[in-house]
Amino acid sequence: MARCKVTLQVNGKSMELDVKPSETLLETLRDRLELTGAKEGCGLGACGSCTVLLNGLPTRSCIALTAELDGAEVTTIEGLADGTELDPLQKSFMEKGAVQCGFCTPGMVLTAKSLLNRNARPTRQEIIRSMSSNLCRCTGYKKIIEAVEAVSSTESPKK
Amino acid sequence: MIASKLEFKSPKDIEEAVRFYREFQGEAVYLSGGTDLVPRMKLGLEKPKAVIDLKRISPLTTVEDQADWIRIGALARIFDLKQNELIQDFFPALEASLEATSCESLQMRGTIGGNLLQNSRCLFYNQSEFWRRSKGFCLKMGGERCNAVPGAKTCFANYCSDNAPGLSTLSAELECTGPDGVRWLNLEDLYTDKADKPFNLRPGEILTAILVPKKRTAGGYKKLRVRGAIDYPLLGVAFSFVDGTGKLAVGAVGPKPYVVEMKKPPQDTIGEAVKAVLKQVRPVGNTVLDPDYRKRMISVLAAKLVNKVMEGVK
Repeated sequence: MARCKVTLQVNGKSMELDVKPSETLLETLRDRLELTGAKEGCGLGACGSCTVLLNGLPTRSCIALTAELDGAEVTTIEGLADGTELDPLQKSFMEKGAVQCGFCTPGMVLTAKSLLNRNARPTRQEIIRSMSSNLCRCTGYKKIIEAVEAVSSTESPKK
Repeated sequence: MIASKLEFKSPKDIEEAVRFYREFQGEAVYLSGGTDLVPRMKLGLEKPKAVIDLKRISPLTTVEDQADWIRIGALARIFDLKQNELIQDFFPALEASLEATSCESLQMRGTIGGNLLQNSRCLFYNQSEFWRRSKGFCLKMGGERCNAVPGAKTCFANYCSDNAPGLSTLSAELECTGPDGVRWLNLEDLYTDKADKPFNLRPGEILTAILVPKKRTAGGYKKLRVRGAIDYPLLGVAFSFVDGTGKLAVGAVGPKPYVVEMKKPPQDTIGEAVKAVLKQVRPVGNTVLDPDYRKRMISVLAAKLVNKVMEGVK
Protein backbone atom coordinates (compact mmCIF):
# COMPACT_ATOMS: atom_id res chain seq x y z
CA MET A 1 0.00 0.00 0.00
CA ALA A 2 1.61 3.19 -1.19
CA ARG A 3 1.60 6.02 1.30
CA CYS A 4 0.85 9.58 0.21
CA LYS A 5 3.05 12.61 0.62
CA VAL A 6 0.93 15.61 1.41
CA THR A 7 1.88 19.21 2.14
CA LEU A 8 -0.56 21.05 4.36
CA GLN A 9 -0.56 24.51 5.85
CA VAL A 10 -2.01 23.90 9.32
CA ASN A 11 -2.76 27.01 11.37
CA GLY A 12 -0.20 28.93 9.35
CA LYS A 13 2.54 26.32 9.65
CA SER A 14 3.61 24.40 6.59
CA MET A 15 4.11 20.69 7.13
CA GLU A 16 4.95 17.69 5.02
CA LEU A 17 3.10 14.57 6.00
CA ASP A 18 3.36 10.97 4.98
CA VAL A 19 -0.10 9.50 5.40
CA LYS A 20 -2.05 6.33 4.74
CA PRO A 21 -4.48 6.81 1.83
CA SER A 22 -7.38 5.88 4.10
CA GLU A 23 -6.49 8.43 6.79
CA THR A 24 -9.07 11.16 7.35
CA LEU A 25 -8.12 14.75 8.03
CA LEU A 26 -9.63 14.39 11.52
CA GLU A 27 -7.32 11.43 12.25
CA THR A 28 -4.34 13.41 10.96
CA LEU A 29 -5.20 16.41 13.11
CA ARG A 30 -6.02 14.57 16.31
CA ASP A 31 -3.71 11.55 16.25
CA ARG A 32 -0.73 12.82 14.32
CA LEU A 33 -0.62 16.55 15.04
CA GLU A 34 -2.24 16.38 18.51
CA LEU A 35 -4.72 19.08 17.60
CA THR A 36 -7.66 17.67 19.52
CA GLY A 37 -9.97 20.66 19.20
CA ALA A 38 -11.92 19.10 16.33
CA LYS A 39 -14.12 16.37 17.78
CA GLU A 40 -15.37 13.13 16.33
CA GLY A 41 -19.14 12.99 16.73
CA CYS A 42 -21.05 10.88 14.23
CA GLY A 43 -17.96 10.13 12.12
CA LEU A 44 -20.14 10.22 9.01
CA GLY A 45 -20.24 13.90 8.12
CA ALA A 46 -23.65 14.59 9.62
CA CYS A 47 -23.13 16.41 12.92
CA GLY A 48 -20.38 18.94 12.16
CA SER A 49 -18.42 18.59 15.42
CA CYS A 50 -15.26 17.80 13.41
CA THR A 51 -15.55 21.00 11.36
CA VAL A 52 -12.31 22.76 10.44
CA LEU A 53 -11.66 25.41 7.82
CA LEU A 54 -10.27 24.10 4.58
CA ASN A 55 -9.06 26.96 2.40
CA GLY A 56 -11.35 29.16 4.47
CA LEU A 57 -14.50 27.06 4.12
CA PRO A 58 -16.04 24.87 6.82
CA THR A 59 -15.38 21.20 6.12
CA ARG A 60 -16.23 18.01 7.94
CA SER A 61 -12.73 16.66 8.62
CA CYS A 62 -14.08 13.17 9.45
CA ILE A 63 -15.07 12.56 5.82
CA ALA A 64 -12.19 14.30 4.05
CA LEU A 65 -9.21 12.10 3.20
CA THR A 66 -5.91 13.80 4.00
CA ALA A 67 -4.50 12.38 0.77
CA GLU A 68 -6.92 14.48 -1.29
CA LEU A 69 -5.87 17.74 0.38
CA ASP A 70 -2.33 18.27 -0.89
CA GLY A 71 -1.56 21.99 -0.87
CA ALA A 72 -4.56 22.95 1.25
CA GLU A 73 -4.72 25.44 4.08
CA VAL A 74 -6.30 24.08 7.25
CA THR A 75 -7.41 26.17 10.23
CA THR A 76 -8.45 24.40 13.40
CA ILE A 77 -9.89 25.94 16.54
CA GLU A 78 -6.35 25.99 17.99
CA GLY A 79 -5.34 28.41 15.23
CA LEU A 80 -7.98 31.01 15.91
CA ALA A 81 -6.62 32.85 18.94
CA ASP A 82 -3.81 35.36 18.51
CA GLY A 83 -1.39 34.11 21.17
CA THR A 84 -3.34 34.37 24.40
CA GLU A 85 -5.84 36.82 22.89
CA LEU A 86 -9.00 34.93 21.98
CA ASP A 87 -10.80 35.62 18.73
CA PRO A 88 -13.83 37.93 19.17
CA LEU A 89 -16.08 35.00 18.26
CA GLN A 90 -14.59 32.84 21.00
CA LYS A 91 -15.08 35.66 23.50
CA SER A 92 -18.62 36.16 22.32
CA PHE A 93 -19.44 32.46 22.75
CA MET A 94 -18.19 32.74 26.35
CA GLU A 95 -19.99 35.99 27.09
CA LYS A 96 -23.31 34.90 25.65
CA GLY A 97 -23.25 31.48 27.31
CA ALA A 98 -23.28 29.74 23.94
CA VAL A 99 -21.31 26.80 25.33
CA GLN A 100 -22.70 24.05 27.50
CA CYS A 101 -20.94 20.70 27.16
CA GLY A 102 -18.63 22.27 24.57
CA PHE A 103 -18.38 19.29 22.24
CA CYS A 104 -19.86 21.09 19.24
CA THR A 105 -18.23 24.44 20.06
CA PRO A 106 -15.04 24.22 17.96
CA GLY A 107 -17.10 23.35 14.88
CA MET A 108 -19.68 26.01 15.66
CA VAL A 109 -17.05 28.73 16.10
CA LEU A 110 -15.26 27.81 12.88
CA THR A 111 -18.47 27.66 10.85
CA ALA A 112 -19.32 31.13 12.17
CA LYS A 113 -15.79 32.35 11.48
CA SER A 114 -15.99 31.31 7.86
CA LEU A 115 -19.38 32.97 7.46
CA LEU A 116 -18.16 36.26 8.92
CA ASN A 117 -15.02 36.19 6.78
CA ARG A 118 -17.19 35.87 3.68
CA ASN A 119 -19.94 38.18 4.85
CA ALA A 120 -19.11 40.60 7.66
CA ARG A 121 -22.74 41.62 8.20
CA PRO A 122 -24.93 38.57 7.73
CA THR A 123 -28.64 38.80 8.47
CA ARG A 124 -30.07 36.67 11.27
CA GLN A 125 -31.49 34.37 8.60
CA GLU A 126 -28.09 33.98 6.95
CA ILE A 127 -26.53 33.18 10.33
CA ILE A 128 -29.18 30.55 11.01
CA ARG A 129 -28.70 29.02 7.57
CA SER A 130 -24.92 28.72 8.02
CA MET A 131 -25.04 27.56 11.62
CA SER A 132 -27.62 24.90 10.88
CA SER A 133 -24.75 22.91 9.35
CA ASN A 134 -23.72 22.03 12.91
CA LEU A 135 -25.71 20.13 15.51
CA CYS A 136 -25.77 21.02 19.20
CA ARG A 137 -27.55 18.76 21.66
CA CYS A 138 -27.46 21.17 24.64
CA THR A 139 -28.04 24.82 23.95
CA GLY A 140 -31.10 24.96 21.73
CA TYR A 141 -29.05 27.18 19.37
CA LYS A 142 -30.49 30.49 20.59
CA LYS A 143 -27.34 31.56 22.45
CA ILE A 144 -25.12 30.40 19.61
CA ILE A 145 -27.00 32.55 17.10
CA GLU A 146 -26.83 35.48 19.53
CA ALA A 147 -23.08 35.03 19.98
CA VAL A 148 -22.49 35.17 16.22
CA GLU A 149 -24.88 38.07 15.81
CA ALA A 150 -23.10 40.06 18.54
CA VAL A 151 -19.76 39.82 16.73
CA SER A 152 -21.19 40.53 13.30
CA SER A 153 -22.84 43.71 14.50
CA THR A 154 -19.92 45.14 16.43
CA GLU A 155 -16.79 44.75 14.33
CA SER A 156 -15.35 43.60 11.06
CA PRO A 157 -13.87 40.14 11.35
CA LYS A 158 -10.16 39.55 11.15
CA LYS A 159 -8.82 37.40 8.35
CA MET B 1 -11.99 4.69 10.52
CA ILE B 2 -11.72 3.23 7.06
CA ALA B 3 -10.78 -0.39 7.54
CA SER B 4 -9.84 -1.37 4.01
CA LYS B 5 -6.38 -0.86 2.58
CA LEU B 6 -6.41 1.65 -0.21
CA GLU B 7 -4.33 3.17 -2.92
CA PHE B 8 -4.94 6.83 -3.64
CA LYS B 9 -4.65 8.25 -7.13
CA SER B 10 -4.95 11.84 -8.21
CA PRO B 11 -5.17 11.93 -12.03
CA LYS B 12 -4.63 15.15 -13.98
CA ASP B 13 -7.15 14.36 -16.71
CA ILE B 14 -10.00 12.01 -17.57
CA GLU B 15 -7.83 9.70 -19.66
CA GLU B 16 -5.47 9.16 -16.75
CA ALA B 17 -8.42 8.57 -14.40
CA VAL B 18 -9.83 5.87 -16.67
CA ARG B 19 -6.34 4.36 -17.01
CA PHE B 20 -6.08 4.09 -13.22
CA TYR B 21 -9.49 2.43 -13.13
CA ARG B 22 -8.26 -0.21 -15.59
CA GLU B 23 -5.06 -0.66 -13.60
CA PHE B 24 -7.12 -1.74 -10.60
CA GLN B 25 -9.22 -4.04 -12.77
CA GLY B 26 -12.43 -2.34 -11.85
CA GLU B 27 -11.89 -2.46 -8.10
CA ALA B 28 -11.54 1.30 -7.83
CA VAL B 29 -14.00 4.08 -7.12
CA TYR B 30 -14.03 7.66 -8.34
CA LEU B 31 -14.05 10.35 -5.66
CA SER B 32 -15.57 13.79 -6.05
CA GLY B 33 -16.79 15.58 -2.89
CA GLY B 34 -16.75 12.38 -0.86
CA THR B 35 -19.82 13.23 1.21
CA ASP B 36 -21.49 9.97 0.16
CA LEU B 37 -18.49 7.80 -0.69
CA VAL B 38 -16.35 8.35 2.42
CA PRO B 39 -19.17 7.55 4.90
CA ARG B 40 -19.92 4.44 2.80
CA MET B 41 -16.27 3.36 3.05
CA LYS B 42 -16.32 4.00 6.80
CA LEU B 43 -19.38 1.78 7.20
CA GLY B 44 -17.78 -0.92 5.07
CA LEU B 45 -20.48 -0.57 2.41
CA GLU B 46 -17.77 0.16 -0.12
CA LYS B 47 -14.41 -1.63 0.00
CA PRO B 48 -12.44 -0.45 -3.02
CA LYS B 49 -8.78 -1.20 -3.64
CA ALA B 50 -8.22 2.32 -4.88
CA VAL B 51 -9.77 5.75 -4.70
CA ILE B 52 -9.34 7.88 -7.82
CA ASP B 53 -9.79 11.54 -6.92
CA LEU B 54 -11.29 13.58 -9.76
CA LYS B 55 -10.96 16.96 -8.04
CA ARG B 56 -7.72 17.98 -9.76
CA ILE B 57 -9.35 17.73 -13.18
CA SER B 58 -10.37 21.37 -13.49
CA PRO B 59 -12.56 21.25 -16.66
CA LEU B 60 -15.01 19.14 -14.65
CA THR B 61 -15.97 22.04 -12.41
CA THR B 62 -17.05 24.68 -14.92
CA VAL B 63 -20.52 25.84 -15.95
CA GLU B 64 -20.73 26.81 -19.62
CA ASP B 65 -23.38 28.75 -21.45
CA GLN B 66 -23.64 26.97 -24.80
CA ALA B 67 -26.07 27.93 -27.55
CA ASP B 68 -28.90 25.52 -26.69
CA TRP B 69 -27.62 24.05 -23.47
CA ILE B 70 -26.18 24.95 -20.13
CA ARG B 71 -23.34 22.53 -19.53
CA ILE B 72 -22.70 21.90 -15.85
CA GLY B 73 -19.41 20.18 -15.01
CA ALA B 74 -20.17 17.17 -12.83
CA LEU B 75 -17.71 18.32 -10.17
CA ALA B 76 -19.26 21.78 -9.76
CA ARG B 77 -20.00 22.28 -6.08
CA ILE B 78 -23.61 22.50 -4.92
CA PHE B 79 -22.85 25.72 -3.02
CA ASP B 80 -21.34 27.41 -6.09
CA LEU B 81 -24.10 26.23 -8.41
CA LYS B 82 -26.94 27.58 -6.32
CA GLN B 83 -25.34 31.03 -6.61
CA ASN B 84 -24.78 30.73 -10.35
CA GLU B 85 -26.81 33.32 -12.25
CA LEU B 86 -27.53 31.02 -15.20
CA ILE B 87 -29.02 28.40 -12.88
CA GLN B 88 -31.02 31.05 -11.04
CA ASP B 89 -32.34 32.62 -14.25
CA PHE B 90 -33.18 29.49 -16.21
CA PHE B 91 -33.75 26.62 -13.77
CA PRO B 92 -35.55 27.67 -10.57
CA ALA B 93 -36.47 24.04 -9.79
CA LEU B 94 -32.78 23.17 -9.73
CA GLU B 95 -31.86 26.26 -7.75
CA ALA B 96 -34.44 25.33 -5.12
CA SER B 97 -33.26 21.73 -4.91
CA LEU B 98 -29.61 22.83 -4.60
CA GLU B 99 -30.61 25.11 -1.73
CA ALA B 100 -32.52 22.24 -0.08
CA THR B 101 -29.59 19.82 -0.38
CA SER B 102 -28.16 18.90 3.02
CA CYS B 103 -26.58 21.91 4.76
CA GLU B 104 -24.29 24.74 3.72
CA SER B 105 -21.03 23.08 4.84
CA LEU B 106 -21.80 19.89 2.94
CA GLN B 107 -22.95 21.90 -0.07
CA MET B 108 -19.46 23.44 -0.12
CA ARG B 109 -17.93 19.97 -0.41
CA GLY B 110 -20.55 18.04 -2.35
CA THR B 111 -20.78 18.17 -6.14
CA ILE B 112 -23.75 17.96 -8.50
CA GLY B 113 -22.41 14.79 -10.14
CA GLY B 114 -21.80 13.17 -6.78
CA ASN B 115 -25.28 14.14 -5.69
CA LEU B 116 -26.76 12.41 -8.75
CA LEU B 117 -24.63 9.30 -8.28
CA GLN B 118 -25.15 8.92 -4.53
CA ASN B 119 -26.10 5.38 -3.70
CA SER B 120 -29.63 4.49 -2.64
CA ARG B 121 -30.35 4.45 1.10
CA CYS B 122 -32.26 2.34 3.60
CA LEU B 123 -32.57 2.40 7.38
CA PHE B 124 -31.45 -1.24 7.40
CA TYR B 125 -28.54 -0.72 5.02
CA ASN B 126 -26.76 2.52 5.98
CA GLN B 127 -25.48 1.04 9.22
CA SER B 128 -22.18 -0.22 10.58
CA GLU B 129 -20.89 -3.61 9.48
CA PHE B 130 -21.38 -4.93 13.03
CA TRP B 131 -25.03 -3.84 13.00
CA ARG B 132 -25.66 -5.29 9.56
CA ARG B 133 -23.93 -8.57 10.37
CA SER B 134 -26.05 -9.09 13.47
CA LYS B 135 -29.22 -8.61 11.43
CA GLY B 136 -28.03 -10.70 8.49
CA PHE B 137 -27.03 -9.22 5.15
CA CYS B 138 -29.83 -7.92 2.94
CA LEU B 139 -30.21 -8.04 -0.85
CA LYS B 140 -28.28 -4.83 -1.35
CA MET B 141 -25.34 -6.28 0.61
CA GLY B 142 -25.34 -9.49 -1.41
CA GLY B 143 -27.62 -11.40 0.99
CA GLU B 144 -30.81 -13.20 0.09
CA ARG B 145 -33.53 -11.29 1.87
CA CYS B 146 -34.83 -7.80 2.41
CA ASN B 147 -34.56 -6.61 6.01
CA ALA B 148 -37.11 -3.82 5.50
CA VAL B 149 -39.90 -5.94 4.01
CA PRO B 150 -39.85 -9.50 5.35
CA GLY B 151 -40.17 -12.02 2.55
CA ALA B 152 -39.54 -9.53 -0.25
CA LYS B 153 -37.17 -10.54 -3.03
CA THR B 154 -36.70 -6.97 -4.25
CA CYS B 155 -34.67 -4.18 -2.72
CA PHE B 156 -36.63 -1.14 -1.54
CA ALA B 157 -33.81 1.32 -0.85
CA ASN B 158 -34.60 4.93 -1.72
CA TYR B 159 -32.64 7.09 -4.12
CA CYS B 160 -32.29 10.30 -2.11
CA SER B 161 -30.77 12.80 -4.52
CA ASP B 162 -32.43 16.17 -4.01
CA ASN B 163 -31.32 17.40 -7.41
CA ALA B 164 -32.35 14.45 -9.58
CA PRO B 165 -36.09 15.29 -9.51
CA GLY B 166 -35.38 18.92 -10.45
CA LEU B 167 -33.03 17.92 -13.27
CA SER B 168 -35.62 15.37 -14.46
CA THR B 169 -38.24 18.11 -14.80
CA LEU B 170 -35.70 20.06 -16.87
CA SER B 171 -35.11 17.13 -19.28
CA ALA B 172 -31.40 17.02 -18.43
CA GLU B 173 -28.96 14.81 -20.29
CA LEU B 174 -25.72 13.35 -19.04
CA GLU B 175 -22.29 13.21 -20.60
CA CYS B 176 -20.30 10.19 -19.50
CA THR B 177 -16.70 9.40 -20.38
CA GLY B 178 -15.25 5.95 -20.00
CA PRO B 179 -12.91 3.35 -21.48
CA ASP B 180 -14.99 3.36 -24.70
CA GLY B 181 -15.04 7.13 -25.07
CA VAL B 182 -17.85 9.64 -24.58
CA ARG B 183 -21.57 8.89 -24.65
CA TRP B 184 -24.68 10.86 -23.85
CA LEU B 185 -27.82 9.60 -22.19
CA ASN B 186 -31.07 11.03 -20.92
CA LEU B 187 -31.11 11.41 -17.17
CA GLU B 188 -34.01 8.96 -16.91
CA ASP B 189 -31.87 6.31 -18.62
CA LEU B 190 -29.31 6.56 -15.84
CA TYR B 191 -31.60 4.54 -13.60
CA THR B 192 -31.97 0.77 -13.63
CA ASP B 193 -35.15 0.86 -11.51
CA LYS B 194 -33.41 -1.62 -9.22
CA ALA B 195 -32.59 -0.19 -5.80
CA ASP B 196 -29.71 -2.56 -5.06
CA LYS B 197 -27.85 -1.44 -8.20
CA PRO B 198 -29.44 1.87 -9.11
CA PHE B 199 -27.28 3.14 -12.01
CA ASN B 200 -26.76 2.17 -15.63
CA LEU B 201 -23.15 3.34 -15.78
CA ARG B 202 -20.64 1.13 -17.57
CA PRO B 203 -17.51 -0.02 -15.71
CA GLY B 204 -14.99 2.78 -15.45
CA GLU B 205 -17.36 5.42 -16.76
CA ILE B 206 -17.19 8.91 -15.25
CA LEU B 207 -20.14 11.28 -15.22
CA THR B 208 -18.40 14.32 -16.70
CA ALA B 209 -21.22 16.82 -17.30
CA ILE B 210 -24.91 17.48 -16.98
CA LEU B 211 -26.49 19.19 -19.98
CA VAL B 212 -29.70 21.09 -19.45
CA PRO B 213 -31.72 22.55 -22.38
CA LYS B 214 -31.31 26.32 -22.22
CA LYS B 215 -34.91 27.36 -21.76
CA ARG B 216 -36.17 29.86 -19.24
CA THR B 217 -38.44 27.77 -17.03
CA ALA B 218 -40.68 28.40 -14.06
CA GLY B 219 -40.33 25.87 -11.29
CA GLY B 220 -39.63 24.85 -7.72
CA TYR B 221 -38.83 22.03 -5.32
CA LYS B 222 -40.40 20.90 -2.06
CA LYS B 223 -38.77 18.54 0.37
CA LEU B 224 -40.12 16.50 3.25
CA ARG B 225 -37.64 15.95 6.07
CA VAL B 226 -37.60 15.72 9.82
CA ARG B 227 -35.12 18.51 10.51
CA GLY B 228 -34.94 21.72 8.54
CA ALA B 229 -31.21 21.17 8.08
CA ILE B 230 -28.82 18.46 6.91
CA ASP B 231 -31.36 15.62 6.39
CA TYR B 232 -31.77 13.54 3.27
CA PRO B 233 -35.20 13.91 1.65
CA LEU B 234 -37.91 11.55 2.86
CA LEU B 235 -39.80 12.78 -0.16
CA GLY B 236 -38.81 15.36 -2.78
CA VAL B 237 -41.18 16.92 -5.31
CA ALA B 238 -39.96 19.07 -8.20
CA PHE B 239 -41.91 20.87 -10.88
CA SER B 240 -40.88 22.84 -13.97
CA PHE B 241 -43.02 24.60 -16.55
CA VAL B 242 -41.92 25.68 -20.03
CA ASP B 243 -43.57 26.10 -23.45
CA GLY B 244 -47.02 25.35 -22.04
CA THR B 245 -45.99 22.00 -20.60
CA GLY B 246 -45.30 21.08 -17.00
CA LYS B 247 -43.20 18.25 -15.63
CA LEU B 248 -43.58 16.87 -12.14
CA ALA B 249 -40.94 14.61 -10.61
CA VAL B 250 -41.10 12.78 -7.31
CA GLY B 251 -37.98 11.49 -5.59
CA ALA B 252 -36.86 9.57 -2.47
CA VAL B 253 -39.76 7.08 -2.63
CA GLY B 254 -38.06 4.45 -4.77
CA PRO B 255 -34.90 3.76 -6.74
CA LYS B 256 -35.34 6.67 -9.20
CA PRO B 257 -37.31 9.90 -9.67
CA TYR B 258 -40.81 9.34 -11.05
CA VAL B 259 -41.58 11.84 -13.78
CA VAL B 260 -44.96 12.82 -15.20
CA GLU B 261 -45.60 15.24 -18.03
CA MET B 262 -48.52 17.65 -17.58
CA LYS B 263 -49.68 18.87 -20.98
CA LYS B 264 -52.98 20.46 -19.97
CA PRO B 265 -52.86 23.45 -17.59
CA PRO B 266 -50.91 21.92 -14.68
CA GLN B 267 -53.11 23.45 -11.96
CA ASP B 268 -56.07 21.48 -13.34
CA THR B 269 -54.28 18.16 -13.63
CA ILE B 270 -52.43 17.84 -10.34
CA GLY B 271 -54.70 14.99 -9.20
CA GLU B 272 -54.14 13.10 -12.44
CA ALA B 273 -50.37 13.55 -12.30
CA VAL B 274 -50.17 12.46 -8.67
CA LYS B 275 -52.27 9.41 -9.48
CA ALA B 276 -49.82 8.45 -12.23
CA VAL B 277 -46.93 8.76 -9.76
CA LEU B 278 -48.73 6.81 -7.04
CA LYS B 279 -49.21 3.89 -9.44
CA GLN B 280 -45.44 3.53 -9.66
CA VAL B 281 -44.05 4.36 -6.21
CA ARG B 282 -43.69 1.85 -3.44
CA PRO B 283 -42.58 3.49 -0.21
CA VAL B 284 -42.00 1.00 2.60
CA GLY B 285 -40.99 1.24 6.25
CA ASN B 286 -37.31 1.87 5.63
CA THR B 287 -37.02 5.54 6.65
CA VAL B 288 -37.76 7.40 9.88
CA LEU B 289 -41.25 8.33 8.64
CA ASP B 290 -44.28 6.14 8.10
CA PRO B 291 -44.52 5.03 4.43
CA ASP B 292 -48.22 5.81 4.22
CA TYR B 293 -47.58 9.35 5.42
CA ARG B 294 -44.84 9.83 2.83
CA LYS B 295 -47.16 8.57 0.14
CA ARG B 296 -49.98 10.88 1.20
CA MET B 297 -47.60 13.84 1.32
CA ILE B 298 -46.89 13.45 -2.41
CA SER B 299 -50.24 15.01 -3.32
CA VAL B 300 -49.92 17.66 -0.59
CA LEU B 301 -46.48 18.85 -1.72
CA ALA B 302 -47.34 18.53 -5.42
CA ALA B 303 -50.47 20.66 -5.07
CA LYS B 304 -48.68 23.33 -3.02
CA LEU B 305 -45.76 23.45 -5.42
CA VAL B 306 -47.62 23.42 -8.73
CA ASN B 307 -50.13 26.05 -7.62
CA LYS B 308 -47.39 28.30 -6.29
CA VAL B 309 -45.25 28.02 -9.42
CA MET B 310 -48.22 28.56 -11.77
CA GLU B 311 -49.29 31.66 -9.83
CA GLY B 312 -46.08 33.26 -11.02
CA VAL B 313 -46.58 32.26 -14.67
CA LYS B 314 -48.23 34.98 -16.76
